[in-house]
Amino acid sequence: MTAATTKTQQEQWMVENQVFQIFDLFADLPRNAKSALVELQRDNHLEYLTKGLKRLDPSFCVLDANRPWLCYWILHSIALLGDYVEHEVEDNVVDFLSRCQDPNGGYGGGPGQARKSSILWQDHLPHLATTYAAVNALITVGGERSLSSINRWSVMFEVSHFCNSAYWSHFEPNDMDSEIFCREKVYMFLKRMKQPSGAFRMHDAGEIDVRACYTAISVASVLNILDDELIQNVGDYILSTHSKEGTDSGVALGLCTYPGHELRHHIDLKVYPSCQTYEGGISGEPGAEAHGGYTFCGFATMILINEVNRLDLAGLLDWVAFRQGREGGFQGRTNKLVDSCYSFWQGGAFALLQRLHAILDEQLVNYSPQTGVASDISGGEESSDGVDDKTCHFKLGGTNASCPVNLNSIGYNFVKQPGEMEALYHRWALQQYILLCAQDMKGGLKDKPGKHRDFYHTCYSLSGLSLSQHSWSQDEDTPPLPNAVMGPYANLLERTHPLFNVVLDQYYEAHEFFDTP
Amino acid sequence: MHGQPRKAPKPEDEAASAAKAEKLRNLQSQFLCFHHNNIYSKEALEVSARLLENNPEYYTAWNYRKLAVEHRLTQSESDPDSDSDSVNSILNVELKVVESALRQNFKSYGAWHHRKWVLSKWQSSLDHELRLLDRFQKADSRNFHAWNYRRFVASLLNISEVDELQYTTDMINKNFSNYSAWHNRSVLLSNLLKRKAQGFFPKEKVLNEEYELVHQALFTDPDDQSGWFYHLWLLEQTVKADAPLLVSSWPAHDSNLILLGDSCLEDSALSPFNTFHSELGTIPLVVYFNKAVEGVNSSTISVESVLNTKGELTWKPLSTNNSQTAQVWVTYLNYPNIKLHSSEFYPVEVSVGHTPGIISSSGFHYSHPSRFAFKVFVRPFEKDLAGHGVEMVSWREDNFLLYESHSQESNPILSLDQLNIKDDHEESSSKWRAETIANEIALFRELLSEINCKIGKLTLARLLIAHDMMLSPIANKMVHSEEVIQLYSDLMKLDSPHSQYYKDERSLVLLQQITSNRESLLRYCFRHGDRTSSFLGNSICLRLNNISLSRMGSIEKLLWVQMLDLSHNELRSMEGLEAMQLLSCLNLSNNKLSSFTALGPLRLLKSLKVLDISFNEIGSHSIDTTRYLCSSPLSHTEEIDWSHDETVTGDVNQTNYWEAFLIFKDLNLTQLDIVGNAIADEKFKSFLVKIVPTLKWLDGQELQLH
Repeated sequence: MTAATTKTQQEQWMVENQVFQIFDLFADLPRNAKSALVELQRDNHLEYLTKGLKRLDPSFCVLDANRPWLCYWILHSIALLGDYVEHEVEDNVVDFLSRCQDPNGGYGGGPGQARKSSILWQDHLPHLATTYAAVNALITVGGERSLSSINRWSVMFEVSHFCNSAYWSHFEPNDMDSEIFCREKVYMFLKRMKQPSGAFRMHDAGEIDVRACYTAISVASVLNILDDELIQNVGDYILSTHSKEGTDSGVALGLCTYPGHELRHHIDLKVYPSCQTYEGGISGEPGAEAHGGYTFCGFATMILINEVNRLDLAGLLDWVAFRQGREGGFQGRTNKLVDSCYSFWQGGAFALLQRLHAILDEQLVNYSPQTGVASDISGGEESSDGVDDKTCHFKLGGTNASCPVNLNSIGYNFVKQPGEMEALYHRWALQQYILLCAQDMKGGLKDKPGKHRDFYHTCYSLSGLSLSQHSWSQDEDTPPLPNAVMGPYANLLERTHPLFNVVLDQYYEAHEFFDTP
Repeated sequence: MHGQPRKAPKPEDEAASAAKAEKLRNLQSQFLCFHHNNIYSKEALEVSARLLENNPEYYTAWNYRKLAVEHRLTQSESDPDSDSDSVNSILNVELKVVESALRQNFKSYGAWHHRKWVLSKWQSSLDHELRLLDRFQKADSRNFHAWNYRRFVASLLNISEVDELQYTTDMINKNFSNYSAWHNRSVLLSNLLKRKAQGFFPKEKVLNEEYELVHQALFTDPDDQSGWFYHLWLLEQTVKADAPLLVSSWPAHDSNLILLGDSCLEDSALSPFNTFHSELGTIPLVVYFNKAVEGVNSSTISVESVLNTKGELTWKPLSTNNSQTAQVWVTYLNYPNIKLHSSEFYPVEVSVGHTPGIISSSGFHYSHPSRFAFKVFVRPFEKDLAGHGVEMVSWREDNFLLYESHSQESNPILSLDQLNIKDDHEESSSKWRAETIANEIALFRELLSEINCKIGKLTLARLLIAHDMMLSPIANKMVHSEEVIQLYSDLMKLDSPHSQYYKDERSLVLLQQITSNRESLLRYCFRHGDRTSSFLGNSICLRLNNISLSRMGSIEKLLWVQMLDLSHNELRSMEGLEAMQLLSCLNLSNNKLSSFTALGPLRLLKSLKVLDISFNEIGSHSIDTTRYLCSSPLSHTEEIDWSHDETVTGDVNQTNYWEAFLIFKDLNLTQLDIVGNAIADEKFKSFLVKIVPTLKWLDGQELQLH
């Protein structure tokens, strides 16, 4: 039979050819040359990144509205490499991002001048994605000055007001003078304005999608301001199980530990297909096809709001497992080419899957067996902080209402668990792809052979590499075994938090800093 | 931008881009000036348009334009001279700005969203939008922004789903590797079939055409993935039955259940398959559906019997995660009072689904009301067993003898077919299904004879399984199982990264084969020599040991099993075993169980007395590696009532062994073997003795009575 080939197929072959040429070349090399080739070019990467932070090439002007993203990609990459930027640069970053911060909360794509009359007049409107990037960048910088520059309750305000595009007609920003007042206002506003769909908008009058849900929930969780109001119906949006208005109460969604089954009969089959498609992956909006980036966003969101059991996890695993190709890297969607950035988006989904047990800890942490009553949260965390103290505090029988889950400790407990298991994807193959095919020996990482390096791919290739190297660590204090790290052991990167994607040490610092609600 | 190769910059390029950046900075400061001063003049709008054409990601400028549009629309409303043309021209300008912005970056979220905003205010011409989409979908046929926008436009402008389906046909004909088009096709067709739109009923005709379309793609280039994924969806549409079905029950239809008193019976005339004894004083009644359902209760299932004296029966879902949805449900009938030297029988009739209320988790109603009946015989005491101690059960090989059945004996898997619900109006459609699947099988066999293609093999394996299931949906005759097992074995070699997946699938087929008929099942049935143990109602042991099982299945045919040997396999989870309500002895030694959580389903087995989990991997891994492999990785959603057990455990640090505690506190084991697991040290064993007070033997040692 003579088979015709499609254009997609030809492109696929071209990429495979390039990749396999590299692999073949590698296989034929003598041992010492091999190890040189799979070496992570730390110094070159650092040089490329540090330069990027100091002065951007003019060709980056299209990213002008995404400058917090550049900060995050670069700073996070540097932190993964175990390095820091100079104090002066850190200060500049904090100053710069502070100027991106809207006086009423949230971060815009660039610095703005506050105008009293309306926040709509900002040079750069606050935006959820850049808020996520800015918060993660500031956490990565760390330190009192950086962390205290984040106006949490205003961020929360920001997050909540994205829920409603009619915001501007209902709100007087001048009222926002004191923080306490602001907080109350936010709650009132939120209760009044929360949309039944549960989703978030990217910015005022902006688009609604799963990415917006993730950035909102991630920011709220990492800043310890996540609450029942914010998570309400988010899961319903992602699964498109909008019940008829008023049938499911906020109480059921907010307080019930796992409300999946209660909602089943509310499923309206005609409305929209779920964002989780028949393949098992998650799409950006209902009806669209499954996509690696959105799969991570949707999955991480469902974990952070404690509703992950509502996803078809077996289907999700199936889908994501079949996204790793012969090249070793991941594709983003069915029948697309390999791309190193999915080392994090798809690889991250694996990291989440293998740590799902940690949510269990969340349920166990709030109960102290001696007294039979819920202990306070900080007490629970102290015990898990102890080196060898594996004491669990068990939750009382009976569900929820009397003992609500502490939403804000989900992310913390998630990484606190020791992890030892085989990864469900081919770790070695992924690391080989990143090191041999995505690495620019002069510094920086790229999508695939033949492409050029950029900060986005550098950040997400390194993040994926880190997850892969650490995916079989006994616990956070024990470094991975040498056979978990391809190439010289010096290739080992810092651990990153699989839900928020900030380096763990920095995450812990932030967690402690924002511990008080 | 993603997917677009960039050239290395040359000095002159750098100069050009510096100039461009300078120009952009100027535009930006001009724009900000207008924005801050509420200026919506022609000139101001021109500046923002040019800014967005150069940098579509500048979302603040999109919002400025939204404000400008509202401002100008309000103005034109109050202007008596204005007409609809002026409104049109205001909005037309917006569409043009979006178009030029998209030319710069066709993945700009802000630009696509602005267009949606304009359209939701004012409907542009359909042609115009479709032309625009054509252009962008031609430039990148996988652009998901464009596909999302297409779905938005289609629903806003009421484009019929039929027309949109035609569009996907055109796109596929142009380039059949476009998975986005196939995906949209599946979404559209699902809707059309669901509401039986004109031309989309009957579904058989439609699906036949789809098969033809996808064949063209698959046979042109079998290495291209897109068509194969669509084919999997199509197969699901072909075989799936939406409404839940009752697939089996215990006791089975038409069976004669023999209840024993406290006796050890050695009457060879009895069929051991239907012999049952319970110390709990109740007979479990189990119904097994083909999918998880909710709403099973005394009104949806009625039971007519004198055994049911307590009034209304309570049905319990056999679910490990506390959900009210389950595939298997159980209730308990009271054990009749056994009178000495009297032989009586009690008929029981069960009607399922004559009253609506049973609903599958995807929202479909149980629509095949069915009835099954059985008789319960009570055998009187023959021997008084008082003082006669229970002995330890040994799994030693020489304790087992292949079971020789008597021809008049009832069939262990009998009556599954008799329960079969024939649905007359589906006769033709089931014939169509069988033909379609057979046709697909022939085609792919031919294809695979020419090329070696893993996804082709996987598809063929699934087709063959579907075919066998279809022949007889309940007591399936597995005519193809050898071929399927061979395909999965090939795939394990061909695609080693996914070999565990193929191994699981192979295990399921193997079990279907074993349970497909009486003869093959009997090859695995053994008589257990140790007949003195009185809690064994029958002495038949099903031995599925040493057959490389990595997963358990076909449990609907094994509800009668009371003694099960699964040792020397590769099992990691006990998922599904909760349905085996009669199970009293279970051997799981030498498997790959890595935690107590993997034993979770056993908690629901109230008659389990003897458990061997020796030589597994419990404790070798600090966390449970099976949880994510189960269809419900969150088996930990169970509620734990710890406070009540405080006294039982006393000084033992239960928190270290909470997983074990969860499993064992609900079981009344008399015998447990746990040796050969990393966790099984002396400390742990003393913990076990405390939390399982019924335990008599631990690792073969008789425990001292306290």
